Amino acid sequence: MGAWVGQPLRRREDPALLTGKARYLGDLTRPGMVHAAFVRSPHAHARIRSIDTAEARRLPGVHAVLTGADLPADLGAMPSMLAFEEHRPTPTWALARGRVRYVGEPAALVVADSPYIAEDALELVRVDWEPLPAVASIEAALAPGAPRLYDDWPDNVAARFETAIGDAERALAEADVRLAETFSIQRNFACPLETRGVLAEWDAHRDELVLTTSSQSMHQVRDYLAAMLRLPTHRVRVIVPQVGGGFGGKFHFYAEEAAVALAARAVRRPVRWVEDRLESFVATVHAREQRLEVKLGARRDGTITAITADIAGDLGSMHHTCSMGPVWLTAVMMTNVYRIPNARVRARAVATNKTPLGSYRGWGQPQANFAVERMVDVLAKKLSLDPAEVRRRNFIPPEAFPYTGIFHTFDSGRYAECLDRALATFDYAGWRRRQAEARESGRSVGIGMSFHVENTALGPSRGLNQGGCTQGGYDIARIRMEPSGEVTVYTGLCEMGQGFTNGLAQVCADALGVDRDAVHVVTGDTQVCPYTGYGTGASRSAAVGGASVRKAAGRLRKKIAHIASHMLEASPGDLEFADGRVSIVGVPGRAVTMGQIAEAAYRQVVRLPEDTEPGLEAVAAFDPTAMAWPYGVNLAAVEVDTRLGEVKFLDYVMVHDSGTLLNPLIVEGQIHGGVAQGIAQALYEELAYDEHGQLLTGSFMDFLVPSAAEIPRLRLDHTVTPSPVIPGGTKGVGEGGIIGPMAAVANAISDAVGHEFNELPVNPERILSALRARRSAR
Amino acid sequence: MKPAPFEYYAPGALDEALELLERLGEGAKLLAGGQSLVPLLNMRLARPDALIDLNRVAGLDEVRREGGELRLGAMLRHRRLERDALVREHVPLLAEAASHIAHMQIRTRGTLGGSLANAAPAAELPAAVLALEARLVVRSRSGTRELRPEGFFSGALQTALAPDEILVEVRVPIPAPGTGWAFAEFARRRGDFALAGAAALVRRDAARRIAAVRLALCGVAEVPLRLARLERTLVGEAPGERLLARVEAAVRAEVTPRADLHLSAESRLEVAAEVARRAVSLALERCR
Repeated sequence: MGAWVGQPLRRREDPALLTGKARYLGDLTRPGMVHAAFVRSPHAHARIRSIDTAEARRLPGVHAVLTGADLPADLGAMPSMLAFEEHRPTPTWALARGRVRYVGEPAALVVADSPYIAEDALELVRVDWEPLPAVASIEAALAPGAPRLYDDWPDNVAARFETAIGDAERALAEADVRLAETFSIQRNFACPLETRGVLAEWDAHRDELVLTTSSQSMHQVRDYLAAMLRLPTHRVRVIVPQVGGGFGGKFHFYAEEAAVALAARAVRRPVRWVEDRLESFVATVHAREQRLEVKLGARRDGTITAITADIAGDLGSMHHTCSMGPVWLTAVMMTNVYRIPNARVRARAVATNKTPLGSYRGWGQPQANFAVERMVDVLAKKLSLDPAEVRRRNFIPPEAFPYTGIFHTFDSGRYAECLDRALATFDYAGWRRRQAEARESGRSVGIGMSFHVENTALGPSRGLNQGGCTQGGYDIARIRMEPSGEVTVYTGLCEMGQGFTNGLAQVCADALGVDRDAVHVVTGDTQVCPYTGYGTGASRSAAVGGASVRKAAGRLRKKIAHIASHMLEASPGDLEFADGRVSIVGVPGRAVTMGQIAEAAYRQVVRLPEDTEPGLEAVAAFDPTAMAWPYGVNLAAVEVDTRLGEVKFLDYVMVHDSGTLLNPLIVEGQIHGGVAQGIAQALYEELAYDEHGQLLTGSFMDFLVPSAAEIPRLRLDHTVTPSPVIPGGTKGVGEGGIIGPMAAVANAISDAVGHEFNELPVNPERILSALRARRSAR
Repeated sequence: MKPAPFEYYAPGALDEALELLERLGEGAKLLAGGQSLVPLLNMRLARPDALIDLNRVAGLDEVRREGGELRLGAMLRHRRLERDALVREHVPLLAEAASHIAHMQIRTRGTLGGSLANAAPAAELPAAVLALEARLVVRSRSGTRELRPEGFFSGALQTALAPDEILVEVRVPIPAPGTGWAFAEFARRRGDFALAGAAALVRRDAARRIAAVRLALCGVAEVPLRLARLERTLVGEAPGERLLARVEAAVRAEVTPRADLHLSAESRLEVAAEVARRAVSLALERCR
């Protein structure tokens, strides 16, 4: 390890962020810029008989009104990057053509001098809707004779996935103990505090589009736009400004990005659209909603011998960018960290008249973890075993890695060690004692745990492609030492507030022996940044991004060493890189600075070796040979106020293993945020729809995002098991915090109340009605 | 989330505001702290022709003691109610109720008069003034009248204010020395509207029995509810578990809340009974 990797350095961007100097999309203006607003469907399902825009166009200050009929005839359909079994296409466009399938679907767009006038004009666009029967839940969509979203489908199943190892049905039949539980996970979404937004500038002279967008996936946006608009790639430049959170919601390519681009071409002015908060609840992809029927078989000693899962994921109205990817991931994560020889999983994506399903931190992993880790607790209770002990008995042991289970190959893990560390940090025995004392005095105190594993460093590219993904999983880094000796790193990954540029700078500084502050990381512009596979998601930045920087820096280092050896008249093997200098080992006085080397490389070329080209630049692509699998333990102690149905945290511990940490401060921040969002899913947030497909919780009054007041003080610790598949040993951590809290919290509440809570969120209504049911049963 | 067009007036004096209100008629809306109205404007759920901004009107944000009552200007911010020395000394119930309202930024803008005139069913201050038997002073060009809270709150988001009237002052009789007080509520998150809340005032006699009780609930009906029958029957009773059980039972008997997104009717009733119990219990503890 060098001087920089592993240091808990403060993020370099924070002073500007904290003093309000950052410029987000909503802060950007251009000369002559006009504003877009969308007419969105008020119906969950309807045909558009006609749209009359005449009155809206007449309103002073309105520049244009576009509808689906105004889109270019050859405009491409909305893309998705994944396809699974029996994938049924869901053709949709930048603006609805003839039919809408969810409340909030964009049907027309107004461009006006101000957002105020644009919204005035929205009210003047007359849409003649013909409402159609809607299906607003998985159950309604699967019911016999249910209204269909797509007329040419036989039902509402949009895609499927199924896989198995061993013989789960037989193992279940032969098991000593059999459990069957049904789980329900609510719909919520990434809900970044900065909503989405797009600023499109169409250079009519060069027929070139510059699209500035609050996105996690700039190259994918560029490629999709170029394909949809039938433009050469070099005519589309995508820029990502400061982003105020993405959490997966901005991984996607959205209709508004295409529609605003078309609007800019139509009005020949820069057009900006900033998604407002109310829009964001219906227009940004939703996530999570699933029903799972799970069966588990075990021996009397707690050894799990079989698991089966039948999973229905609510896809919403269409295959968005990631199709049913999260539902698939739930299916293949149903064996979690356990050596279960027999497993069978089936997943279906069910189309409903709701906002499309998309990405949210964790993808399908939290759902699988919730179901499996609840089941393990139910099993422990049934066998009168300690839940920690049941987990320990089923862990994949350290010597079994690399371990291939139902689908993935896990690279490494010392699960029992991490669990022990977590139990010690939490003072598990002490908490069990305090719990017993509290119960004596009539208090409802519960303890819950969960063990999770996180798939990070998404790749390898060939595996992704073979699995039907249109994207690879590599990352490319370009590094240039400037004539001053300072270093610029170019990455195709998008910074959305997670701070990975700090980690990349630390990796690069170590590789080149320079100060961290001599390294500048450039992100967010397709014209200057290298391509990255997949996009910024799947916890790839630290592991895959870090490894690509390390690889490129290694190449650059070779050239620097070659030049330095010439300048110092020494063998490259005798050189060491440190403190911004290259010196001869054992002869500290014999050194050249990076500035001197760079001066030679760019300006005093006469000092270069004869065989050496000017310039100091290197490019490298890193494509992981396998994924890296960090893991961790969540432990919660809660007290339930049984009179109010309120849950109070008494303690919360999270211990994780993410391999080698690039910057522990940033890692802890990732865990803090993830755990908070996990607790939000466990107790608070829900996008609830009525049976007609109307969203009931479409504002911050009813969609309950917890604040700091609701999140307990988190006690964190970690173990370090470097990944053997990532040079440097770093595993991802972006999603690690969010996977385990649901099960840990629900387990703790179930333990406190003595009722199995298998539906999320565990809110006061669920707790009070469970208690009422128990009282009336007595 | 941009409002529809409206005219904007910012009078500096109450007479001017009253004149504007009379002239502009029902199409005009008064803007106090704006913490409910501005979001409604932005969602285009409220579309007034004109806004009359009361923030520059002089003299509406004073706290004065007049004899046995505290006179509170309608434009007093919640944050003032929470921290003002006179309010805390004489009507601590009001300070405690205000402390439950939303978040500090909102309390710094939101006003006493605005909250009362908005009459949200789950709001804290309407229940507090109901328990305090305050009188609400309303003015128009044609005169002044005083309303009791029972006559002021007429439905969810509805009051007895005529279109030309402005709520200008709240007169709160100062509870007798030694009166215990409490405002208790249960909200999903800190700062949310209460799922149910309760304002209680309790006075005990020389024998430490109940001399007087007042109990008002919010969040359980379209208007704040006072449990007058319970209040009468508790007089003369000894404090203790039995008394608190009667409070709970009375809430269960007298209140019929409706289900909403967050709670079923049965659960809300349980929550209301519990917060009422806690408010009375804490008020009893605070009796001197």
